[in-house]
Amino acid sequence: MTKLAITINGRTLNPTEVRDELTMNDFLREHLGMTGTKFGCGAAQCLSCAVIVDNPDGTSYTSPTCIVSAASFDGKAIRTVEGHAKNGELSALQKAFIEHFAFQCGYCTSGFLNEAQVLLERLAKTPVERAELEETIADALDGHLCRCTGYIKYHEAVRDVILADAKRYLAANK
Amino acid sequence: MKSAMRFPILASAAALAMSVLTGYAASQTASTTLDSPERFISIADTGARSTAIFTELGKVLTHPRCVNCHPAGDRPHQGDASRLHQPPVVRGVDGHGTETMRCSICHQNANFDPGRVPGHPEWHLAPREMAWEGKTLAEICAQIKDPARNGGRTLEDLVHHIGTDTLVGWAWHPGFGRTPAPGTQQEAGALVDAWIRTGAVCPAG
Repeated sequence: MTKLAITINGRTLNPTEVRDELTMNDFLREHLGMTGTKFGCGAAQCLSCAVIVDNPDGTSYTSPTCIVSAASFDGKAIRTVEGHAKNGELSALQKAFIEHFAFQCGYCTSGFLNEAQVLLERLAKTPVERAELEETIADALDGHLCRCTGYIKYHEAVRDVILADAKRYLAANK
Repeated sequence: MKSAMRFPILASAAALAMSVLTGYAASQTASTTLDSPERFISIADTGARSTAIFTELGKVLTHPRCVNCHPAGDRPHQGDASRLHQPPVVRGVDGHGTETMRCSICHQNANFDPGRVPGHPEWHLAPREMAWEGKTLAEICAQIKDPARNGGRTLEDLVHHIGTDTLVGWAWHPGFGRTPAPGTQQEAGALVDAWIRTGAVCPAG
């Protein structure tokens, strides 16, 4: 057993003992009942299980949870799909996903959403030229699998959010 | 008639199965051990002895546990079959993955067998110039002696790198579903040391 102290969506949980072999995905879904994070392939290949990990320096990245131990998240702060909406209002990305009908079954959505959110935050710190945007989005979402093949719609939704606030995300408009 | 025939058939099948299993076990034993340097003392010619020692070390150097992370391209391989790594990761500028897909995101400080994921604090690819994939043992030998293609190491450094480096040592403790490198890390280090002391001669070819 290992002590796990973790902050999820801004809420610091009381330290809890977890089995060393417990995956982060099982911790979220089975222990906390946070089923927005999905279990897909179980091999970190579809990334439907990805969550956002926030570094102390303000940067962030996504991490799969299906193959990574819960204990390895000790001391970390993460965000899941349950944390995106604020006061009941969906985030700009969530609204864009719906407007574009980006998802059908929705199983991959939380992973795409987290990845796109990390991209937005990275672009806010390090904007790219408009000419680089398409490749930047494609690179960011690369690796996330959608069995309903919503790739283009996800891409367009993310692009719309960025272009709607171009001064924030694009270098040429700064 | 049927019952009379049953025993010989069963006996033949059992014998066949045993022979197959015995052969399998023998081949497994042969591929999982390393001969010590003393095993080669009987080779009078020092150069030939050096070559033989390196050839024995080659069981480790060409093993999937080593070659998978010394790939010819930018993607690591995985498993005993050395298939391309999935998900499709690449080495990045420092061998630790790209900015948004670092090796350490999945590969933690130690193996995590429930997820079938190997781990070490320094998990990363060997530099591109240290690629061994697809090379003969003679080519790997020439490469491993060349500081420009061995990470700037002296021959003595190789004893440490192969014999005591903990990331290299992972190859003998790879976790669930992966065959360990032959022998032990200590034995591999002893072979490197003996190879160097006999002139570090490379196999022909």
